Amino acid sequence: MFKKVDISIDFLGIHLDSPFILSAAPPTDELEMAERGLEEGWAGVILKTTSVEGNPVELKNPMMSSFGPMSKKVVGLGNIDLISHHHIDIVEERVKYLKKKFPNKMIAASIMGASKEDWQTLVLRLKKAGADLIECSFSCPQGSMGEEPGKMLAQSIEATEKVTRWVKEGADTTPVLIKITPQVTDIVEVAKAVKRGGADGITASNTIPSLLGVDIYTFEPYPTLFGEGAYSGLSGPAIKPITLRTIAEIAKNVDIVISGNGGAFNWRDAVEFMAVGASNVQFCTLPMHYGFRTIRDLKSGLEHYLKEMGFSSPMEIVGKALKNIKNQEELVKPETRSEIDLDKCIGCGVCYVACNDGGHMAISWDSVNRKPSVNEDKCTGCAMCMQVCPVDAIRMREKLDSKVHYFAERR
Amino acid sequence: MERKLDRVQALIEAERCLYCYDAPCEKACPAHVPVPEFIQSIRSGNLKGARELVSLANPSIEVCGEVCPEEQFCQSVCTRAQIDSPIRIRELHKFVTDNVKLSDLEFDLPPFNGKKVAIVGGGPAGLACARELRKYGVESVIFEKKELGGIPVQEISKERLPEEIARGEAKQILKIYDAEVKDEKITNLNELGQGFDAVFVSTGLTEELELDIQGVNLPNVYTARKLLKTIKSGMKTGLGKRVGVIGGGNVAVEVAAALKREDPSRDVEVVYRRGLKELRAFRDEIEEALELGVTFQFLAIPLEIKGSDKVEGIVVRRARLGPPDEKGRRTFEEVPNSDFFIPFDSIVIAIGQKASDIFPELEKTPNGLIKVNEDLETSKKGVFAGGDIVRGASTIVESVADGKKAAQSILKYLGGQNV
Repeated sequence: MFKKVDISIDFLGIHLDSPFILSAAPPTDELEMAERGLEEGWAGVILKTTSVEGNPVELKNPMMSSFGPMSKKVVGLGNIDLISHHHIDIVEERVKYLKKKFPNKMIAASIMGASKEDWQTLVLRLKKAGADLIECSFSCPQGSMGEEPGKMLAQSIEATEKVTRWVKEGADTTPVLIKITPQVTDIVEVAKAVKRGGADGITASNTIPSLLGVDIYTFEPYPTLFGEGAYSGLSGPAIKPITLRTIAEIAKNVDIVISGNGGAFNWRDAVEFMAVGASNVQFCTLPMHYGFRTIRDLKSGLEHYLKEMGFSSPMEIVGKALKNIKNQEELVKPETRSEIDLDKCIGCGVCYVACNDGGHMAISWDSVNRKPSVNEDKCTGCAMCMQVCPVDAIRMREKLDSKVHYFAERR
Repeated sequence: MERKLDRVQALIEAERCLYCYDAPCEKACPAHVPVPEFIQSIRSGNLKGARELVSLANPSIEVCGEVCPEEQFCQSVCTRAQIDSPIRIRELHKFVTDNVKLSDLEFDLPPFNGKKVAIVGGGPAGLACARELRKYGVESVIFEKKELGGIPVQEISKERLPEEIARGEAKQILKIYDAEVKDEKITNLNELGQGFDAVFVSTGLTEELELDIQGVNLPNVYTARKLLKTIKSGMKTGLGKRVGVIGGGNVAVEVAAALKREDPSRDVEVVYRRGLKELRAFRDEIEEALELGVTFQFLAIPLEIKGSDKVEGIVVRRARLGPPDEKGRRTFEEVPNSDFFIPFDSIVIAIGQKASDIFPELEKTPNGLIKVNEDLETSKKGVFAGGDIVRGASTIVESVADGKKAAQSILKYLGGQNV
C-alpha cells in the first residue's frame, strides 16, 4: 500500500536485499534459527564459526551476563561463548541446504583454524558447498587457535597478514572477510595487514574483551560458574561508539570494504556505521534480545530515511561522514554558548548542577521560578548542560552575522 | 488498595526520578524528606542509607508510607509530571521501610544531658518532637491517656493503615529513643508537676463539631470519630442498613468506608454541601470509598433530620457551586424550592473537629486553637505547641513537621543545641 524504496545493495559481488546481516553468533548456530532469520527478512547469515577440530569445543554455561539499569538491562551483553560446537561436516551441509532453499540470500560461514592446513581445508570445503562468502574469526575474545592460543590472531600484524594470505589462497574468487578486534594498539596497521594478505574485506569489529562485573558480596565475577568466571566478549549498545571509531579509522586510512559489526541496535546506528565507512551492518545482540522480527523496523527505518534524505541507494550513505572526522587540533574553534529554551525547560535544575560542578559555573539558578539562566561571559560552550537536559531544551548556539548556527543537536 | 512495589518495580520507578536540584518535592514535603537523595540510594542499592535519610526527616515515615496524601505534597510538584507522570514517591519510601526496619540500623545517640521536656499528647507531633530532642540528648516524658500513636493508632482504619505499622512505629519512641510515657490526662500546666525544662503541647483535636439542625438528638444519630474508634477496637457499631454520613472531609469519607466495610449489605451515602472537587479528603480515601460502593450525594445541604423516636431520613436542599472563596475553593449557594427527602435509618455527623477546652493558661485563637508564634512558642515562655491543636485538622506529615520544628525551638530555648 505504501511506496517502498530499494534498499538492496551489492556487497563484494553478492546481492543483498538490505544491508542487514545476521552475524556469526548464537542466532545462526542452529539450522532452524538461520532459516527463520532468513524467512523473517534478514539479507543473509554468517553461520557461527566452525572448525575442523575433532573434539567439539566445550561451552560452559551460564555464558551470558549483562549490565545496564533495571529499565534497560542489556546496555552491554557479555558472553564467554566460543566458536560453534558444530563441526565443519555439519556446517557444510547447512550451507548447501540453505543455499538451495534461499538462493537469493547471502549464505556465508565463519571459520577458525590452528594451522595453514586447517584454514585452507575449511575454506575449500565451504567454497565447494556453495558459501557466498567466508568470514575468518581472528578475534574471538577467548583467544584464537594455533600458534599463540589465548591471544587473538588479529593482535599480531604478521600473523594477520600470513593467515589472511593462506585463506585467500584457498578461497580464490570467493570473497573473504577478516573479522578483527578493536583491542589493538593501531587498528590501521591491522587493516593494512589484512589488505596485504589479500582479503576482500574487513569485519569491524568483534566483541571486546571485558569483565562484566563482580558480585561485591561474594567477590565472584560475572558470569559466575561455581564461584569463578572469565573475561567476556562485550557486545550491545555499550560498544557502539568504539565500533564507530574503529570503522572510521579503517575507512579513512585503508581502501578496503568494511562490514560493520558491534553495537548497532537499530537502523539509526546502522546508518551511522555506514556513514563512517561500513558497506553493510551485521547484527547479533539485537536479535538475541528481541528476536529476528527486529529486521522489519531496520528495513522500514532505513527506507524512510533514504526517502527523507533523497538518497536512491543505501550505498550513497557509505563514508558520507568521513570527511568531517578530524583530529582535535585540526578543528576550527567556534565561539559557542549554551542556549536554554525556557518554554521547553521543566525546571529540574540538573543543567545547573552539571555546569556548576562539572562545567564552568556559568548557569545560575532562579529557585523561585525554577529556571536556569546562562551567564554568557562565563559559558565556554562545552555542551555538558545539553547532555544532561532530560527534555532537550538546551542547544549550543553560534552567532554568524545575522544567522544563528546550532551545534551538535540530537535528533 | 495495597500497592507494594517489589525490587524491580522500585528500581524502574527510581530510574525515572530526574534527581532535581533544589528539589520541589523535598520542599513541598512538610517534613522535608530528602526525596531525590533517598531515591538515588534506592537506585544504587543502598537501602539502609535510604532508610536513614527518610527516618531522620520523618519519624512517622512508615505511617506516612501508607496514608500520606502525596498528591497534596511531594507528588503535586514533581518535575517528572511535565514529561509523563509524577514519581510514586510515597510508594518508594514505603519500599525502603518495607525492606529495612529501623531496628536494622545501628544508633549512636548521645547520653542524656539532664534536660527534660514534657510532651502532652503522644500523636505524630509529640513523637516527632521527642525523637528530635533525643538526637540532642534531651529526655522526654510523653503524657498520653489513650494508646500511644494518636490518630494513626486510634482512628485510621486498619485496612488503610495496618495496626502493626502504626503501633510499631509509635513504640519505637520507647524502645529506640528511650522516652518515658505516662498514662495521665493533662488539662493544665500545673498537672505536669516540677522537673521539666520545657513543654510541648500536641493534644490534637479531641472534640467533634456539632451540627445545629433539628433532629440531631435522635437516638440513631452518631458522631464519626467515636464510630471510627469503635470499629478500630473491633466492636460492632450496630448501625442500620441505610446510613447517611453528613460531611465532606477525610473523616466523613473514612467513616463511610469503614461502615460499608463493616457491613457490605448496608447502603452508605455521604451527604455533602459542595461537589467532588471540593471534598477535603485524600485521593486514596475517596478512591477506596468508591471501590467499596459508598455513594455520594453532592450539593445537598442538610436541613433537618426527620423522625419521631428514631431517624427516618433527612431533608436536604439542593446547592449549586458559587464563586471561589479567598482560598480558591468554590463556595455553594442554595437553590430555591429544591428541598427533597432522603430516607436513612442512621445518621453520622462528620463535619469536623475542635479543640477541647484545656490549658486555660495559654492564649487561644477564636476557634479555640492554641496560639503560637513562628517558633511554635505559646503565650507562655518555655511552652510550645504544634499539630492539630495549633493548625486545626491537618495531616500526619504536617504534625511531624511541627514536632520537629518545636524540638528545634525548644533546643534553642534551652540554650543552644549543645545543651
